[in-house]
Amino acid sequence: MANGLAWGTAAKIAAREMRHTRGKFLFVILSVAIGVAALTGVRGFSASFRATLLDRARSIMAADLAARTNEQPTPNEMKSLEEIRAGGVQTTTVTEMMSMAASPSAMNPLLVSLKAVDPALYPFYGEITLAPAMSLKTALGPGSVAVGDDLLLRTGLHVGDDVRVGGETFRIAATVVDEPDRLSGNFEAGPRVLISRAALDATGLLGPGNHATERVLFKLPPPSDGRPVSDAAVAALKTNVAALLPEAQVTDYRETNPSLTEGLDRATSLLSLMSLVALVLGAVGVAMAMRAHLQQRLDTIAIMKSLGARSGQIMKIYLLQTLLLGLAGGLLGVLMGVAVQLAFPLVLGKLINVPTDLHLQPRAILVGLGAGLLTTLLFTLPPLLDIRGVRPSLILRRDTESETGDDGKTSFLRRVLARLPWVALALAVTVVSVVVVSRHWPGHSLELLLEGICLFAAAGFGPAIWNWTRRKPMQAGSFLLIIGGIAVIATTLSDSAEVGRVFSVWLAIVLLVLLAASAAVLWGLKFFLNRTRLHLPSALRHGLANLYRPGNPSAALLAALGMGVMQIMTVYLVQRAVVNELHITSAPNLPNVFLVDIANTEIDGIRTVLKAQPGVTTQPELVPMVAARVETIDGVTQAEARAKADEERAQAQAQGTPRNSRRRRMPRGVNLTWAEEIPVGTKVVSGEWWKAGERRPQLAISQQQADWLGMKLGSTIVFAVEDTKIAATVVALTKDDGQHLFGRAQFTLPKTALDGLPVVWSGGVHADPAKVGELQRALYVAYPTVTVINVAQALETVRAVVIQITYVIQFLAAFSIFAGVVILASSIAGTKYRRTREVVVLKTLGATRGRIATIFSIEFAVLGLVAGVVGIGFANLIVRTLLLQMNVAYKAQLLLNFSALAGVAALTVATGWMASHRILEKKPLEVLREE
Amino acid sequence: MIAVEGLRKSIRNGARTVDILRGLDFNVPKGEFVAIMGASGSGKSTLLGLLAGLDTPSAGEVRLNGVAISYLPEDRLAQVRGKAVGFVFQSYQLIPTLTALENVLLSYELNAEGDGLARARQLMASVGLGDRMDHYPVQLSGGEQQRVALARAFVMQPPIVLADEPTGNLDTTNGALVLKLLLELNRKEGTTLVLVTHDATLAECADRRIVLRDGAIISDDGNISQPRPERQTPFGFRVGV
Repeated sequence: MANGLAWGTAAKIAAREMRHTRGKFLFVILSVAIGVAALTGVRGFSASFRATLLDRARSIMAADLAARTNEQPTPNEMKSLEEIRAGGVQTTTVTEMMSMAASPSAMNPLLVSLKAVDPALYPFYGEITLAPAMSLKTALGPGSVAVGDDLLLRTGLHVGDDVRVGGETFRIAATVVDEPDRLSGNFEAGPRVLISRAALDATGLLGPGNHATERVLFKLPPPSDGRPVSDAAVAALKTNVAALLPEAQVTDYRETNPSLTEGLDRATSLLSLMSLVALVLGAVGVAMAMRAHLQQRLDTIAIMKSLGARSGQIMKIYLLQTLLLGLAGGLLGVLMGVAVQLAFPLVLGKLINVPTDLHLQPRAILVGLGAGLLTTLLFTLPPLLDIRGVRPSLILRRDTESETGDDGKTSFLRRVLARLPWVALALAVTVVSVVVVSRHWPGHSLELLLEGICLFAAAGFGPAIWNWTRRKPMQAGSFLLIIGGIAVIATTLSDSAEVGRVFSVWLAIVLLVLLAASAAVLWGLKFFLNRTRLHLPSALRHGLANLYRPGNPSAALLAALGMGVMQIMTVYLVQRAVVNELHITSAPNLPNVFLVDIANTEIDGIRTVLKAQPGVTTQPELVPMVAARVETIDGVTQAEARAKADEERAQAQAQGTPRNSRRRRMPRGVNLTWAEEIPVGTKVVSGEWWKAGERRPQLAISQQQADWLGMKLGSTIVFAVEDTKIAATVVALTKDDGQHLFGRAQFTLPKTALDGLPVVWSGGVHADPAKVGELQRALYVAYPTVTVINVAQALETVRAVVIQITYVIQFLAAFSIFAGVVILASSIAGTKYRRTREVVVLKTLGATRGRIATIFSIEFAVLGLVAGVVGIGFANLIVRTLLLQMNVAYKAQLLLNFSALAGVAALTVATGWMASHRILEKKPLEVLREE
Repeated sequence: MIAVEGLRKSIRNGARTVDILRGLDFNVPKGEFVAIMGASGSGKSTLLGLLAGLDTPSAGEVRLNGVAISYLPEDRLAQVRGKAVGFVFQSYQLIPTLTALENVLLSYELNAEGDGLARARQLMASVGLGDRMDHYPVQLSGGEQQRVALARAFVMQPPIVLADEPTGNLDTTNGALVLKLLLELNRKEGTTLVLVTHDATLAECADRRIVLRDGAIISDDGNISQPRPERQTPFGFRVGV
């Protein structure tokens, strides 16, 4: 005798069963497809981008190897480079820095990103594209430069015009259309100016202590057999260069730009998790649809049981249906994911600036498909487990037995007493939370209040939840399995077990909270309607009553839709607040114009110019900086410190304990400054400041810096400035008010300790925003080599980047909205039969189509409004908490919130009608005859 | 074949307890055709459901071929239902999304290995629906649907067939046809047949009649030492040993 149903037979029965339900399952397939599309799109694009970076790695670096340093090479290092060249390796240096450029006639200085190259050698790989087309040697001939087209736009200049850079005037020979190594370079604070190395020297911008970044590019000679340069040869050269240039960051073409690839990995993880939210919502939709489907199949299940089918066999049949739907949805999602992949370059715009070759990425497809199938299976477990409870006697007699034995006449007192332990638990948790949170994270009183309300509300449900768990332990277990499954998927997507754990638990909590909030709002509405003496129009009453139609999964539906709304509103509100913050000008006493790269010989002149400017409203803060390297701290060298840090990290990883996040690596390059007296805005918290004229190399550092480096009073640190060594002892630990430039100085010594060393000054001043342009012009005319940064302009650049990044996040958050909309459509389609009967009865009683349409529109609109209220409400709460953490002010955006609410309601009404418009056309007799 | 001991069934309806069966005791030997009669609400369908293992009694026991089935675990009961019992419902209970042939085949697929197609086709032919195999229940008349249900009940060659008012929803002509088929199949397959009916004329076809009233047996003419002789029934069937 067969103990089980063969999979093939089960599949046949499952397929037969689905023949008549194709339309209904379309929504299920779509629910899965949306999440899979987002996931495969994100990961597919990320993999394609990474593959492109690798394919073009040499071009992106413009070399086999690059050594990046913030200092000019020392004579010894120059000698080492000569030795490398003697071995056949080609080298060239790319210098990048910020500077000022202006039209000679208008003298409207602009912050630009200067890049100086040797046109005879650069780039070793890839091509520079110029317009009009010409060789780089021609464009960067004597007296000419190539510029980005945004410089021309902002200055009103054209190709052929002159532009002043530093102290020299150059002709604009061409515009830079594309540079192969743009991603490997510095962040561009302004438009590009490409200049020859010889021309840069002539501008006088390069002086000791300037902020230029030097990138030495290396190209290995190709082997004599014609094969490409091997990775082993590159690795050998890398080792050699790293030993010869210990202060440089040496990377080979395979690493491209480590911060870029690390950033790409982090972004991929974050965006994958957002896609997972959409996938989970889709799976919730599948679960709701399957539950509705199985409800409609109760008789069929009972018949099968009466024919001898066991629960396991029937579950197998419907499990196969679910798998089939999940697979169909997954495959559709993969196809849609291709479209998502294609959309990413459009959404990211100029941010990445690498034409990405989009390929099908098998791993991304498999991960997306797998995640789609797994979430679908997990979420349909609870309704599938319900099959076990279907009794075959259902078809003989509709049971009127009460399952719980509750005759509905439990006294109020008994009900209150049953809830007491849960209320006590809620109270205890709330009190503990208040104590802990107030101590460590003050200012979260609103969140605590809401937590308390939620807990007490949950306590009311405590007995029901407990009884349900006892009655259906397997169902309760299946929910734990769902959370575990999501944790596994999240871990896979983020490559972090901790992230996976936290994400899954928080997602479950958020969904439950949304569900409870939705149920509470619906209950409140019903309570209000029952109690109110308002004579509401009958269409309104009817529409509202429809929300409580038996079988209408209103609360679950609202939670799903609310989740999507919450996501997208959270992203949008955070973006707005952060971008607005970037617009805010500083307080009157804080600098809004910064000056960098002021030579020692220019400082007195700068003071004079600033004093003469009517727009300058505060005394300038001018800080001298000496660029130095840290050799040892308390006798520990750089190499020893690195080895110790690596050991600590490995230990912490092995033990699964977090590293001491307060400790940081020993810095290589630092800035030293001097002060005879305690600077304004700084106070000594420990130790004593030196007297004026102190000759001994004493040191004052901030308490925070001391903590990071593990230093204390009496610690010694040896600096090297060019070939000079300075051994200084810590005599004072300080704290600054964060409002003065001196507070940015890392290490302060007496003036005499730094006598004779190359000094570059930086400064800040507050100018009337309307007169910043005038100040910039005056400074540029007098001192064209000094870089002047208008904070507002710099913030504008950052703002544009932030907006581009948030576009991507909003794009993905929209998938959650789509998932919510599909669930809504599916749910409405699921109640089609009931609605059709309702329409028919109403028509028979004389209702017009317009009146019926009003009733349903009210139902859909209220659904949307409730989902909107819940989603937008929680979004504002989350945003308030997030902004508090980011020290950004939160302002309730009432108009925006109400507009979003109206938008959600409109979307819901539109979706509702799309899913059910045909029912208005049904003729009454047509339906009644089918009965 | 079927032994019933002290069988009781009660249900709770809100605060009330309703006794549907109040302690029944009877046996049905192999091959017997028993009619269970009684007015509406007398507990006939409930008794049949308990005999089929479709429900659990409140007290007492049902034994099929010596095996007590009443308190078996659900999966074990399903096996009994699939292999030992064929059930014919008053309202046919065909699965609307399967064709007539697929409805018959389903029982085989759930309970046996191998290909049951030939057997299903043969049964469909024997109930006169050889040309309607690919039709869905909604495309069949009531009588035709009940004939499909008959075929389904016999596909596993069960030793026991239980029929709950199989002609209750049919007109006289179709009812007679279905009954004829039921009795023919019963004779051909050699099963023990228990049929619930409130129709006295139909009950005349049975070897034995058990009458229920308010959940108790008020008469059982099966307590006879000798089988009844073969006879012709009012519908013109020949029944008896």
